Amino acid sequence: MQVFLQTLIGGVTFGAVYALVAMGFSIVYRTMGLVNFAHGSVVMIGAYAASTFYLATQLPFAVAIIVAITVTGLIGLIIERFLRPLENKDFTLMLIGTIGFGAVLEAGAVLIWGATGHAVPSPVATGPIDLAGIRIPTYNLVVIAVAAAATGLLALFLQRTKRGAAMQAVAMDHQAATAVGIHVGRSNAMAFAIGAGLAALAGSLIGPMLYVNPTMGGTLGIKGFAAAMLGGFGSMPGAIVGGLAFGLLDAFAAGNFQEYSELVTFLVFAVIVMIRPTGIFGEATVNRA
Amino acid sequence: MKRLAWLVPVAVAAWLLPYGLDGYAIHVADVAVIFAILAVGLGLTMGVAGQINLAQVAFFGVGAYAVAILTTQAGFGFWAAAALALLIAMVFGILVGIPALRMQSHYLGIVTLGLALAFTNWVTNADIAGRAEGISDIPVPPLFGVDLSSGYLFYYVELVVFALALAFALLVTRSPLGRRLRAMRDDDLAAGALGAQIPLLRMTAFVLSGLYGGVAGVLYAGLIRFVAPESFNIANMFLLLAMVIIGGRSSILGCVVGAVALTLLREALLDASGYAQLGYGLVVVLVVVFAPRGLAGLPGQLRLLLRRRRGDGSRAQLGAFLPYEPAPSDAGGNALEVRAVTKRFTGLTALDGVSLTVPAGQIRGIVGPNGSGKTTLFNVISGFYTPTQGSVLLRGQDLTGAAPYRLSLCGVARTFQNLRLFEDLSVRENILVGLDRTPTSWIWRYPSLPWKVLGYERTLRARAGELIERFGLADVADADPRSLPYGIQRRIELARAMAMSPSLLLLDEPAAGLNGEEVRQLGEIVRSIRDSGVTVVIIEHNMGLVMSLCEQVTVLSSGRVIADGRPAEVAVHPDVVAAYLGDSMSTPSEAAVEEASR
Repeated sequence: MQVFLQTLIGGVTFGAVYALVAMGFSIVYRTMGLVNFAHGSVVMIGAYAASTFYLATQLPFAVAIIVAITVTGLIGLIIERFLRPLENKDFTLMLIGTIGFGAVLEAGAVLIWGATGHAVPSPVATGPIDLAGIRIPTYNLVVIAVAAAATGLLALFLQRTKRGAAMQAVAMDHQAATAVGIHVGRSNAMAFAIGAGLAALAGSLIGPMLYVNPTMGGTLGIKGFAAAMLGGFGSMPGAIVGGLAFGLLDAFAAGNFQEYSELVTFLVFAVIVMIRPTGIFGEATVNRA
Repeated sequence: MKRLAWLVPVAVAAWLLPYGLDGYAIHVADVAVIFAILAVGLGLTMGVAGQINLAQVAFFGVGAYAVAILTTQAGFGFWAAAALALLIAMVFGILVGIPALRMQSHYLGIVTLGLALAFTNWVTNADIAGRAEGISDIPVPPLFGVDLSSGYLFYYVELVVFALALAFALLVTRSPLGRRLRAMRDDDLAAGALGAQIPLLRMTAFVLSGLYGGVAGVLYAGLIRFVAPESFNIANMFLLLAMVIIGGRSSILGCVVGAVALTLLREALLDASGYAQLGYGLVVVLVVVFAPRGLAGLPGQLRLLLRRRRGDGSRAQLGAFLPYEPAPSDAGGNALEVRAVTKRFTGLTALDGVSLTVPAGQIRGIVGPNGSGKTTLFNVISGFYTPTQGSVLLRGQDLTGAAPYRLSLCGVARTFQNLRLFEDLSVRENILVGLDRTPTSWIWRYPSLPWKVLGYERTLRARAGELIERFGLADVADADPRSLPYGIQRRIELARAMAMSPSLLLLDEPAAGLNGEEVRQLGEIVRSIRDSGVTVVIIEHNMGLVMSLCEQVTVLSSGRVIADGRPAEVAVHPDVVAAYLGDSMSTPSEAAVEEASR
């Protein structure tokens, strides 16, 4: 039981990060129909930006996160500008274009930070909380709280602000949105920047839990992507639920199958999406057989 | 075949190449050939068949690891292990391809990528696969006393295998199978309606992918005689993808050029590999944005640019239609019988107990307001939807719920309301897809009887020529359908449907968007088609055409048949008038008036 609960906490923490990655995917996907395979690499850049700034300046971690979000937001804008001619046109080409961007970011990270990577000390100094025999690292609670707060803010933005509503409108029908006077290009660019910002947040948060290195983006990106798919592509609640579900799947696979966890995780994932390609919350414009 | 004549000097050059290379350079050439085989496989799956397969590098790994494990741990000889490895790689291809039956595009990309990661995870941790250190001391492949540990001699083995692999890939792409795969990539619904068995074709694509990956893996094991997980990681998958995209994903030769070019480039930039990856990434992005067809597409793009600059103003013209030889309809009886078909979608009954019987050789009109269920009825008849209740009989044979490809092979052809031509195929190829009536089991002939395939292709081409003449499409035969005016595209779709030599032709609003003269021609064509023995069912809003063309008209409203009879009777039927104009008690809706006055 104790092991189970311990695994559960770990799974939820990673799940919260996967949910942030998946939300970043989803917000870009639903507004412009672009599957951003570079997203994982943006997460990696975010992790590097935050940890480097944190280690170099010794300013609070929150400041480092904000710096990271700014950096990746700019990268997001650049990617969007490049791929704009392909938006809503050729799906496969866009997909491959973003894979190309991912490679560029990864190579860039190797050139700037070197291929080896670095460890990040936990920004929260206090020891783990002991709760009925389960040791919960304080940092895990911080991660979950920050992820929840970010999710809340994003939901508020999408539902309560004019720009957020405009973005929703573009997501539903970009032509109709143009017709009622929404600047679709600007809205898309903003969606991309928000997506990249979420990636940076995820990267910054996961930095102290993993070893920050140039290839972390690949695995994190695929896992976040898989989480989005599990929840239902393009659905924000789906991204959250899918993220948590994937985090738990990952944690329990690691607990039970040790080094084969990745094998088990992806096999289970493949079987689940075979049974339900639309994910838990479904997708209106699902592109399936 | 003459177009391939330039391959001869290339082959001679490839044969003479080792004489000018030192020991290291020949090793690079050996690696380049292996990547070229891999790239051809990925080009077939992704470029030709449109399956986003990001597990190609895993198939490569499966081939190499299978040889390594079988030779070092199970005591197999190299070639026996190689044959088994190919089989294993193809089985792996099928397993990875199964998700393609349920999902496409990015969904498939993620799942295949995940499975590739699962493979790397396994080989890095399994004892049998030598964990992270990999497996060394794979034996040198024996070959009648030839010492294949020499990179020079191994090059010739590779060259022969590569030539065979390339020839087979070219055979596939330039034959009916390749055309079906490309049709499936462009529009799987329309391809299904034209007789392509989509699930089996997707699996075929993955089997090919596994085969090419396996062949490359076997050669790799024989060349390097050492396998380790990092040779099959995601970075190499990306390199392979870059090769295919930069070379031109839908052109097999482009893939080869891309593979060779990038392998050489990688070698040249070995000391600056960080910058090299940056370079590949940037080039891929630039290619995607500016030259979506890659290097192979550049000549075409330039030609298009030149033609535009020159202002080639000649407009494509439709030629006259040459009527079919009249033939008496076979035997009579009912060509189509729809029995009490109901189709419900969640919360909506689109068809509600619809019955209709179309005698052979009739032109039947189906009319009704928008949303009355006409297209749904066509979708049920042509197998896109399975009816909730009721049955569909073709010439007395119950074919309810049969898949579109089966119905197509049974003689049902259809056109679509909003044109579904294959955009990346020329007009001629569109028609050739329709002409190909072979069942998918014919695929076995490609590896075993390639000359028969070529012979069949020649007869198809001859028949396509006749059909193009008949439908007056000679001027536009090799054009890209998207570039043509709407009226011509409608004519192409009709020709493509007739290419299937159907016994039942379903036309969904064939006159939409046509001008008066084109509508008159359409009437003539449909009559001639009927006179050749084909039963025609036509959904149309153009009442003039329906009245003059159809022998019997069925009126649908809100998913029910409200009238059935000769055009003149139906037009004055009180229910029909009410459906179009509203009854006297209520004001007619705008849509209904617009509908009726067309």
